[in-house]
Amino acid sequence: MQKAFLVDGSICLGCNTCAMACKNQYHQDKGILWRKVREIGAEEYHIDNNNILPTLVSYQKAPKAEMPMERFYFSLACNHCENPACVAICPVGAHTKDPETGICKHDQTICIGCGGCVKACPFGASKFNEKMGQAEKCSMCWERQADGKTTACVQSCPVGAIAIIDLHDPKYKEYANASPIGIDYAINAETKPTTRFIHPSMPKEVYRLPKG
Amino acid sequence: MSYSKENVESIVNNGISRRSFLKGLAASGVLSSFPGGILQANEDLNTKIPYLGEKSYQTFRNACPRNCYDTCSIKTYVKDGVMQFIEGATESTYTRGGCCVKGNSYVKRVYSARRLKYPMMQVGGKGSGNWKRISWDTAMDIIAKKLLEIKKEDGTLLGAALTKYSGNFGITHYGIEGMFNSIGYTTRLAGTPCWPAGIDAQNLDMGDMWCNDPEEMKDSKFIILWGVNPASNSIHSMKYIYEAKKKGAKVVVIDPVFTEAASKASQYIQIKTGTDGLLALGMAKIIIDAGLHDQKWLDANSKGYKEYKAYLDKEIKLDNVSKITGIPLAMIKELALSFAKAKPATIWMGYGMQRHTNGGSMIRAIDAFVAVSGNIGKYAGGARYGHLNTWGFNYAALSQPKPEGSVGYTGPEGAKGEFAQVGGEKAAYTDRFLNINKTARELINAKEPKVRLLWVACKNPFAQDFDRNQLIRAFQQLDLVVVADQFFNETAKWADIVLPVTTQFEEYDVNVSYWHYWLTLNEQAIKPLFEVKSDLEIAAMLSKRMNQLQAGSCTFPQSVDTKAMMVKEFNPGIYEQFGIKSWEELKHGPVKAKAVIPFADGKFKTPSGKFEFYSDKALELFGSALPTYLEVRKPYDKFRMTSPHTRWSLHSQFQNLEWMEDVHPEPYVYINPEDAEAKMVKEGDTVAVFNKQGLLRLKAKLTDNVQSGTVLMYEQWYNNNIYNVNELVDDTSSDMGAFKTGAPGVALHDTFVNFRKL
Ligand code: SF4
Ligand code: SF4
Ligand code: SF4
Ligand code: SF4
Repeated sequence: MQKAFLVDGSICLGCNTCAMACKNQYHQDKGILWRKVREIGAEEYHIDNNNILPTLVSYQKAPKAEMPMERFYFSLACNHCENPACVAICPVGAHTKDPETGICKHDQTICIGCGGCVKACPFGASKFNEKMGQAEKCSMCWERQADGKTTACVQSCPVGAIAIIDLHDPKYKEYANASPIGIDYAINAETKPTTRFIHPSMPKEVYRLPKG
Repeated sequence: MSYSKENVESIVNNGISRRSFLKGLAASGVLSSFPGGILQANEDLNTKIPYLGEKSYQTFRNACPRNCYDTCSIKTYVKDGVMQFIEGATESTYTRGGCCVKGNSYVKRVYSARRLKYPMMQVGGKGSGNWKRISWDTAMDIIAKKLLEIKKEDGTLLGAALTKYSGNFGITHYGIEGMFNSIGYTTRLAGTPCWPAGIDAQNLDMGDMWCNDPEEMKDSKFIILWGVNPASNSIHSMKYIYEAKKKGAKVVVIDPVFTEAASKASQYIQIKTGTDGLLALGMAKIIIDAGLHDQKWLDANSKGYKEYKAYLDKEIKLDNVSKITGIPLAMIKELALSFAKAKPATIWMGYGMQRHTNGGSMIRAIDAFVAVSGNIGKYAGGARYGHLNTWGFNYAALSQPKPEGSVGYTGPEGAKGEFAQVGGEKAAYTDRFLNINKTARELINAKEPKVRLLWVACKNPFAQDFDRNQLIRAFQQLDLVVVADQFFNETAKWADIVLPVTTQFEEYDVNVSYWHYWLTLNEQAIKPLFEVKSDLEIAAMLSKRMNQLQAGSCTFPQSVDTKAMMVKEFNPGIYEQFGIKSWEELKHGPVKAKAVIPFADGKFKTPSGKFEFYSDKALELFGSALPTYLEVRKPYDKFRMTSPHTRWSLHSQFQNLEWMEDVHPEPYVYINPEDAEAKMVKEGDTVAVFNKQGLLRLKAKLTDNVQSGTVLMYEQWYNNNIYNVNELVDDTSSDMGAFKTGAPGVALHDTFVNFRKL
């Protein structure tokens, strides 16, 4: 099994409920977001100042997407990679990949704050918390899932634009190779990110007033 | 490794975390029983607090009481007396387990270091910034003495004014009006800046504002979102719209702006601002000419259809409709005909549309179109605007008797507002009503007696009211301004005394929505932090002090318990409507009102008992019996400015929070690239946006989401930014509002500005 996020850009409102629900659950310090709602066509990695990016893996330039400003989005957190760089690089085993679910967990009690994962993750999922001198990231709410609930982000999304799927379930095969559009995203990274995307599109009929 | 509960618990118990917020707060949970509450809010709530499993928490029922369609039902998780996190209630099919970006910031709101903690007095005078912490006793003493002084000198308390609006729509919060009722006849800033023109329009047409259940939209076959943007401002409604769309319904957005909702619709139609009424009249004419109107329904249920049709025949020329609205005639025809053929079909009208000088007339025209199409009184149909159908509480906190011998105003009586129109006994005197939408001007102009004390609660006039410079003058000439709030906002800066009030998590209340049909209990989940008190407790303390100084001068109970006050708001009517026997059942979760289709029985509360195309009342009050085309305000500057609501805030609430700054740090002005080019403005440039009212400096974003000739800025209050879009808005009235809400609305979107690169 490989649990993964399936994000549906065709219905995502960009409302940021998911990102805030994550803060609501874990109280991330000001400036840190484990989940980020990224606008299609407007790259914003450079303002993410608790990551040093890009470092080890260079980003794949986003395929051009001519989308209106502030209307189409993908909601992204840790990609719970099949071959996670964070797990590989951590010298103390604070990052682990759960063999049963494929969730990449980070344990702050073990973390020594070397910052390796922050540099190694090609997606900026691991954040460095300056105050605590430790890394932190989305661990797919594994405690909530273990308690029979779904993740805070999935539960709070008003339209069901994030789902947790088993990537190895053949049913989701059709999503396997869809790179996201309009955001710089290292889909081909060696880490094998598991997040999958449903692409948005403009309404079939759009009428705008003539110019002038 | 497996995910058994024991596993989670063992990890948790063995201290998976962490220098955690939780630890700090667990300690303070003990300490908070000390007076003064050692429970210190920390700017940084150290990541990460662990999720401990459902059973480790105490849970409470809460509601989001802000002025929002969605009025979410909340479940609050508390440990050791400290709020840990919230979830949307899963019992409500509407909230469905989740709040919005704002609701999910509540923990930060409660524990924000920016919260008001103690009563404060601005000893250096208003705006001086020279503050001193005072005790509640001192605060109450100063206010009580001022009130009694006013009464002694003027012979009445009309010199004391209250401005309160939508900061908290919980039912017991009408106790703030109750506090003012209990001291005598006073002055009230009456009316509503929100939706009054549309309320009047719907009342003229149908005798009520009463929308169908939004959850029915899932079964609508055709949905027009007309000037409404639920993808940003009623996100919980979107799932029903998506469901309808999935089942094949067409979803059309008509809006001057390509909104978030437009981007998710089947069709987007851009319209010239302020011409929506004409479009609706044209669409009605098209379906009548095509014989697609519902003659049977019209015969049985309407008044004045003949006159209305005669008006359409004579005055509405389709070529003209196309020219003025800017929409090709073929598209208008296709829209009107396909709407008429789809049954049930519905239109949801936004509040922005009626914030024009012709706003009420536009809502009337759209109501009429829906009526002609035969979709009023139908499941999943309707001309949706809002409703107050579930608001039949006792308003016990509101209804306080006047002290004996109170003297008041003897002029013409006005209505009091849209929510709680509880009529007292017909007295010789009334309160004095000033137009809330002209607060600055009215405070300055009020004479005999002049206003000397102003109490501000559930409201942030400096963020929400108009004509800031005049507002400063108005505040400065008052003897005493009291502001009860949770944050140190711009209005507080112009106060003499600020009083820290509770969040909804620190008090009891009960909440309903003006959109959906759920009823939610709001329990006290945590002890009030610092020295904060609920608005009701403040009223009680004031009453106590006033009675000490002059027995009988205030009738408000001298000690209150918010829970007891909440219980008093229930009555058999509410129990019947919601199918419960006692309010205690709400502890298990929110409940929904029994399903009723508005106007399905053909009974309208108009004078004729029918849907009134022709309204005598409209003729009497607004000069036109029929829904007719009224031209919108003429431009007085180069560009129209529109200032819609944003997802990041509810008026002046939420954007100021640390967490919100993480997802949305600063304001922008959105400009059409064509206009920007003409002014040599590039993406990211700082521009000055200005008009006769004021000037704002902010960064530009270029987008054809806004049409050429219009600039868009969202209405918000930031913590460390003087940006306030209402500084550019004058207080020009919309056409309607005075009928049902006491005062006309404001033509907010008929503001005009110019801009240049800085
Ligand atoms: S994924 Fe859901 S919650 Fe997140 S921004 Fe999109 S619609 Fe909102
Ligand atoms: S996205 Fe980054 S942090 Fe997450 S599993 Fe992959 S490499 Fe690790
Ligand atoms: S799965 Fe949990 S930790 Fe990860 S982004 Fe969602 S809410 Fe945050
Ligand atoms: S602001 Fe509206 S949508 Fe958000 S939590 Fe409150 S009621 Fe719900």
